[in-house]
Amino acid sequence: MAAPNPRPALSRRGFLGFAGAAGIATAGVLTGCNRAASTGGSSGGEKPLKFWNMPWGNTQFTTLDKKITTSYKPASGLNPASYQTIQWANFTQTFASAVASNTGPAVSSGGGTQAFQFEAQGKIAYADDLLNSWKSNGLYDDFLPGLIDTMKVDKGYAAIPYNLDMRVLWYNTKLLDQAGVEPPKTWDDFDKVCAALKQKGIYGYGTMAGAGAYTGSHTLVSWMINNGGGLFNAGHEPEMVTDVNIEAINFVLDCVKKGYVDPHSVSYTSDNAQSQWKAHKFGMGFDTAGLANNIGGTVGPELTIGSPLTSPSGKKGALYFPNNIMMYTNTPNQKSSEAFLTYYYKNMAPLWTSNTGIGLPPLKSITEKTGFRKDKNAVKAIEEWQPISKTWAAPGSNSLFLGVTTVDGTPAMDTFTQSILGGKVTAKQALSTLQDTVAKAIKAQG
Amino acid sequence: MTDTSMRTGLQQGVSAQSPTAAPTRRRRPLDERGKWWRFVVVLIVTIIAIVPIVSVLYLSLQPGLGSSATGLTLENFGLVFSQTQISYWLENSLLVTLVTVVISVAVAAPAGYVLSRVRSRLVSSYSLVLFVVQSLPVVTAVIPLFILFSGLGLVDNLGGVIIVYVGSTLSVATWMLAAYYDSIPISLEEAAWMDGLSVFGSFLRVVLRNSLPGILSTAIFSFLLSWNDYLVAVVFLRSDVNYTLPVGLETFFQQNATNWGLVMAVAVIMMLPPVILFAALNKYFSVGGIGGALAGR
Amino acid sequence: MSAVSEGIERARRGVGAGGSGRTTPRRRRRPTGGGLTLLLFALPSLILLLLINLYPLVYAAMQSVRSGNLINLGPFVGLANYRNVLTDPDFWHSALFTLIFTVTGVFGSWAVGLALAMLLRGKVPAGGVFKVLLLLPWVVPVVVSATSWNWLVATPQSPLPEFFSLLGFDNVLFLSDPTLAKIVVCVFKVWISFPFMMMMMSSALTAVDVNVYEAAKVDGATGWQSFRSITMPLISRSTYISWILMTIFCVNDFPTIYLLTGGGPTNATTSLVVLAYRTVFQDFQTGPGVAIAFLMTAVLVIVSVVLYRQIAKVNIE
Repeated sequence: MAAPNPRPALSRRGFLGFAGAAGIATAGVLTGCNRAASTGGSSGGEKPLKFWNMPWGNTQFTTLDKKITTSYKPASGLNPASYQTIQWANFTQTFASAVASNTGPAVSSGGGTQAFQFEAQGKIAYADDLLNSWKSNGLYDDFLPGLIDTMKVDKGYAAIPYNLDMRVLWYNTKLLDQAGVEPPKTWDDFDKVCAALKQKGIYGYGTMAGAGAYTGSHTLVSWMINNGGGLFNAGHEPEMVTDVNIEAINFVLDCVKKGYVDPHSVSYTSDNAQSQWKAHKFGMGFDTAGLANNIGGTVGPELTIGSPLTSPSGKKGALYFPNNIMMYTNTPNQKSSEAFLTYYYKNMAPLWTSNTGIGLPPLKSITEKTGFRKDKNAVKAIEEWQPISKTWAAPGSNSLFLGVTTVDGTPAMDTFTQSILGGKVTAKQALSTLQDTVAKAIKAQG
Repeated sequence: MTDTSMRTGLQQGVSAQSPTAAPTRRRRPLDERGKWWRFVVVLIVTIIAIVPIVSVLYLSLQPGLGSSATGLTLENFGLVFSQTQISYWLENSLLVTLVTVVISVAVAAPAGYVLSRVRSRLVSSYSLVLFVVQSLPVVTAVIPLFILFSGLGLVDNLGGVIIVYVGSTLSVATWMLAAYYDSIPISLEEAAWMDGLSVFGSFLRVVLRNSLPGILSTAIFSFLLSWNDYLVAVVFLRSDVNYTLPVGLETFFQQNATNWGLVMAVAVIMMLPPVILFAALNKYFSVGGIGGALAGR
Repeated sequence: MSAVSEGIERARRGVGAGGSGRTTPRRRRRPTGGGLTLLLFALPSLILLLLINLYPLVYAAMQSVRSGNLINLGPFVGLANYRNVLTDPDFWHSALFTLIFTVTGVFGSWAVGLALAMLLRGKVPAGGVFKVLLLLPWVVPVVVSATSWNWLVATPQSPLPEFFSLLGFDNVLFLSDPTLAKIVVCVFKVWISFPFMMMMMSSALTAVDVNVYEAAKVDGATGWQSFRSITMPLISRSTYISWILMTIFCVNDFPTIYLLTGGGPTNATTSLVVLAYRTVFQDFQTGPGVAIAFLMTAVLVIVSVVLYRQIAKVNIE
């Protein structure tokens, strides 16, 4: 019963009173109050500030991350931190309802474009002061190149880059050997490898666009960025019907027509896609940098990240998502939020060196640690793909903005992708429809 | 339409649940004919229908990623119990569900009595309101409810979730019970009143005592609704010790990977209590009772 | 009067099963203070209704006439959201699918449920076991059954496509072809819902006296005739009621569709409630999203009231 932490115990007790009033306080109910505390770090007399993090990796991630948070010993007068995992299921509702009722966190991660949403509603505490203070302690310069700028909006920095989710080219070395082809370096190579794999009944363009699977859309935007295109111009307006985009989408439509794409892909979830990799049905395709680890078994070690392709325009590029941590105006003390984040960024390295399944690290110092360098694929993603990767805002700018929420996992984007992978539209048609829908949605944002 | 015609209809629709009904005793040898033919048809349909459920069982017995076990194994169940707070989740789920059932029956029982016995414009419009609010999708209600409840300290609190569940079962529960009361002749109450019982007394001793099948049906309906919900619980419950089973199930869905063996093991654990309950109460549970109340208003 | 029609008449009066037959409600004086007791009876449910159901309803109504987001209500825009929604082809496309989904969901599950109820009504070896097993699709959480259905149909190596290729249909795109995806979602819904219908119909059928069938048989009625002229009229009320409830369950059903297909491919399986959800929580346009939910609810209430009247008619006959 000696629960050190007041919050859940309190609500639990409150509940027991409620249950008692309903006249059903049985012995079984009473045993319920002997619960382990779920938050900690209640040293000092200050009210803890709430840190909400997502389950970015496996269960080890959550355990380790919670330990890092609760080990935080604030300087006197500053608030300690409490830890809360937020499930991915319905997380938009969870955050929106909490922020709207002022019961939200002081510091959190969340969806990749969430900070820009809340920033537009005046709920975000800008990170400018914090980043300035990091210029003197070396943290600022430790970020990978170009990363901090992706968080810049008109009024300041909306968030701080946290873990990177990238879309990279994977291939199965064994299957490529069997087909007698070299890993591709250009779009033409890609086509040839696909053709060779097809001879063996293997799909060269492995992808997915089913319920909750956005990799299909990400890959299409990646092709556009690879060819020097993208979705938004420098004025943050949607400008999608461009020659380079049409060329990229036509290339994908070609792959669909030639049978390089599994016709089931439009309905694949990430699990379906993974089982296709495991079944040696996917020989090549775009996925997250953690694919080999997620697949594991005998097939995982066969998978390798390839180098970025050179497009017909001669350019290279790919789409990536700098997931981030944001601070909210609803904090017991802004200085405490900043002090906690300084501690967290200085001590978060183990999250990337102990197989927790999180995406790629934002700090150079972490990418140099031996624990991280064990994973050759992750190293390749950081060294070859991160420097050429761009955000949703490409090609106009590199900084994210509110408008990108209209393409990040939205119905319009899903429909666009499923229609392309269905192969029954023209590139120009599909891009025009997408552009119109997005323009309308941005206008609705005011 | 007269009162009488409505009540006759009600009588007929719910007579199956009437405590005096005992149709089995009336069965004739007609039933014996073709029983094996029926057996084969039902067997085939049942097998097809439970394929997806058998596959859940099958997947729960598969060894997980990096496991040394081969063939079918119970290790997922072991992992679920050793690595997660599932015993708390199970307890919370049972608690939430049982309290929801008790409260919704306790609230709906007297309200249903009013719907059943009082004939006035006010009561029938109340019945219609019950019906309309029931038709609005839950997804639109979660955020306003959360804002309301956070002011009352009912967030991350099992009590808050219970109130929402009671609210969402209320309409159907009230109708179901009203329908059962309709099958109880009012003359019984009138006799009780002549014996000097109050309205409350006659409700308690005459009506409720004769409504056990109706109460059980309502209870199981509420049970399933609160047992399976995750849309509400995932937004309202934060601490992992406060999770209910469906929210706990969500913890296995991570950013890029899902451990299906563990998900399926939790799913099997989740299935057991309702299945045991259904097996035990099967003969009492009939949703048909909802009918009468709906029709009468 | 023939034996058949007499049997119907008897059964209709509820004599067969309930035994008591018609009870004429006569108003007797309630004990004093009865009115107050009844008011107190209704009070708790009234309070809960106001607190839990009415408040979100009013809040949502406000959202639907404003241009806001998840956090702020935003400025008043009148009926603009409704106008925009009603002129959006996606809305009509989803409305059509909602209609298909609801009609097949309601009648499919009713037909299967009624057939099983009639089969299980007679003596069947191990009938009790079957009754419990057949309830399972309704008991299993949708998150789990959607996953299990996905596992059964999604990839070419999944059991069902493998089975179809044995029959000579190679590479059937169960979830990737828009038409097939619609069918799979509807079948999935029928699978989830038939146990509910089976129970509704079972309880309705227990009200029919078996003697009536004997009499009909003596009268020379065939199986189909006695089904048409005895069974159907007797279960018609329960049938209408089960249709109303299932219509509400189908139209409001979000997880079944969302977890299996996410509304795809290319919106083929996007119903109105899925469209509303995606508009609010993925496009962050609360006004139009809630307007969709309200339009949907309005139609639902109208349809239910029409069916409700049918029940009243059945009573008069």
